[in-house]
Amino acid sequence: MLLQISEPGESQIKEACKQRVVGIDLGTTNSLVAYVADGSPIVIGEDPIVPSVVKYAGKDVVVGREAVGVDGALASVKRLIGRGMKDIESVRKLLPYELVGDDRSVKLVVDGKEVSPVEVSAEILKSLKLRAEAALGGPIEGAVITVPAYFDDAQRQATRDAGRLAGLEVMRLMAEPTAAAVAYGLDRGSQGMYAVFDLGGGTFDISILKLVEGVFEVRATGGDSALGGDDLDRAIATGIVPELATLPRAEVTKLVAEARRVKEALTDREAEAFAGKNVRVDRAQLREWAKPLLERCLKACRRVLKDAELTREQLDGVILVGGSTRSPVVREAVAEFFAKQPLADLDPDQVVALGAAVQADVLGGGEQQVVLLDVVPLSLGVEMMGGVVEKLIHRNTTIPTGATQTFATYADNQTGFDIHVLQGERETADACRSLARFTLRGVPPMIAGMARVEITFLVDADGLLKVMAKELTTGKEASIEVKPSYGLSDEEVERMLIESFEFAETDLALRNLLTERVEAERILAATRGAFVSDAAASEHLLDPEVRVAGDAAMQALETAMAGDDHLKIRAAIEQLDLATKPFAQARMNRAVEAQLRGLTLDEAESQVSH
Amino acid sequence: MAVESPSSSNFFELLGLPARFDLDPSLIERAFFDRSKELHPDRFASAPAAERVAALSRSRALNDAYQTLKKPVGRAQYLLERAGVTIGDNERLDPAQIMEVLEAREELAEARAAGNTAKIEQLQTAMRTKRAAALSDLEKAFAADDTAGVKATLISLRYIDRYLEECDAALDEE
Repeated sequence: MLLQISEPGESQIKEACKQRVVGIDLGTTNSLVAYVADGSPIVIGEDPIVPSVVKYAGKDVVVGREAVGVDGALASVKRLIGRGMKDIESVRKLLPYELVGDDRSVKLVVDGKEVSPVEVSAEILKSLKLRAEAALGGPIEGAVITVPAYFDDAQRQATRDAGRLAGLEVMRLMAEPTAAAVAYGLDRGSQGMYAVFDLGGGTFDISILKLVEGVFEVRATGGDSALGGDDLDRAIATGIVPELATLPRAEVTKLVAEARRVKEALTDREAEAFAGKNVRVDRAQLREWAKPLLERCLKACRRVLKDAELTREQLDGVILVGGSTRSPVVREAVAEFFAKQPLADLDPDQVVALGAAVQADVLGGGEQQVVLLDVVPLSLGVEMMGGVVEKLIHRNTTIPTGATQTFATYADNQTGFDIHVLQGERETADACRSLARFTLRGVPPMIAGMARVEITFLVDADGLLKVMAKELTTGKEASIEVKPSYGLSDEEVERMLIESFEFAETDLALRNLLTERVEAERILAATRGAFVSDAAASEHLLDPEVRVAGDAAMQALETAMAGDDHLKIRAAIEQLDLATKPFAQARMNRAVEAQLRGLTLDEAESQVSH
Repeated sequence: MAVESPSSSNFFELLGLPARFDLDPSLIERAFFDRSKELHPDRFASAPAAERVAALSRSRALNDAYQTLKKPVGRAQYLLERAGVTIGDNERLDPAQIMEVLEAREELAEARAAGNTAKIEQLQTAMRTKRAAALSDLEKAFAADDTAGVKATLISLRYIDRYLEECDAALDEE
């Protein structure tokens, strides 16, 4: 039945929007628009690069080249889109305009009026739309707009809103490195395993894709979304003028602009004078200033390779994307890291727009048959007893996807089950991003561990998460839809990822502590319960001396639990075990013999590990 | 960890593959790519809502199927589950193996405490060799229709993989 419906549906689409769809690369520094003509994508305009700069002049709005360098022009707005004030704290000082806002959004102050990053971005998109309409001779019916692979839901949503505001039908938001891979795959017939190294003005993405016969499978993606050419400009300016951060805003803007000019000049020249400072900068100097930034890039590269379970040698090629990869300093570092000469034969400024044009053509009913398999950028999970995160869906899982897991109640007669949904790579709940909390009520009162709750995560093709919970004995259900990265800023995503690696050890210690505390609580409850039931039984197995020793050991364990040394808790647990051993043995002898004979590995490990 | 959703059909059928262990990885990948071309939600971008929902759930099941079957351990576990054999959280190794694992762990812990990267790498390589041997055991057990052997090997692999994760974590500290 479904297939019968699909046939007319598809042919209608083909007829309806066969023509005039475009791909747009909405960049931090520059933007471009491209379309597919006779089967191959081309960028639009004699000078296709439109600087992402907007100047409001009374009723008029000037966009692009003419707005560059004009007093009060707005640049690098992409760094603000879909962000709250807190998220942009680190870049705020360096942006040459005033900002107001709250935790959810920011606005730019222009001539006393407030304008949102969405509106500014929409002006850029409008200008690109006009450009495309002039070139194609009619209204644009659909557009694919690219976003950094690491853009979160709020940022994607805001970008989509900007498209709508510009009067565009946004057919899809596409990851920038994926778009670049599509362009290479089709233009160069590239097949195999490729890394896309995308260093733009304000973002860095690294993706590994398998390209084969029209399928583009993202194997792993990573990045550092607060890192780009802008940061290198500032590093150069700071290198020349160490007190840069303390200077007035206008001065900073001027110095950073000169740093950028010097950086760009060093692409073709060995040395260049830094105007007004009587200093010459050479490539060796630039290399040194760039080193910490490149090291951050390469760190992300290493992690993505590991996630993809690949070695550098297994890559068929490395594709360079983004204006910042024009710099020889960047190219050298990439070539050295991957031990191969990176591909840059398609213009790194244009390649993203070209790939987006291809995807627009596909969605608009064009001839190309291309399938993109994208992934979840950050793991999704729930909080467990003790604040530990249980991951249900791991990062780099192909979307759409889903996962189901069953959890047992922790306490006797527990009637509610709190579900805390989290995103991030860290082991503990408070180090991950909280997405949602909800409670499943009406769990039938039972002994701890008897009532079971099944939790299901579903992620759709747009990366949106839906969580459902079901109590298994009664079938009671609760569900909630969450946007997985709602309100999660780029920097937060990136910080969470970086921290999860840098602090893996701290995390492990904390996880051990939480695990031991839970274990201690369980043992205390079990011991108390056994003491009580023994007192009530007709035949007492508990020796009064053992009782005294047991009480003392329980008290010692409670003291240890109040501290934060998991080894001490573990030792106290073992002491309690030891103290109550005669009693436990007596109980065990009486109990059914068949069980508990063999030693499980986990038990064995817990005995020898300390 | 992909989990079969209650409604999903047999993962092998979904990929159009025979339900067996010895499958060429490139064959599985090709099957996945071919199916993705038919089922990916992009292909139904402008279809009626009901059809989009159906496409989404089929595509999700397809991705889960691939995730589960693409690697030998997942594939073996899935085949075992379908044969009605489950592996619990506290499965027992035989005593000789327990001793072996415990010793290897102690060695790793010592090397880690001493910050001896070369030693950790050596232990990692040794364990990888063991893993390769276990995978070949798995294949033999499937060929011989030896369900108990498959289960025992999967349990060993669980400990081997956990050990290799610890090696990774130890090397990351450097």
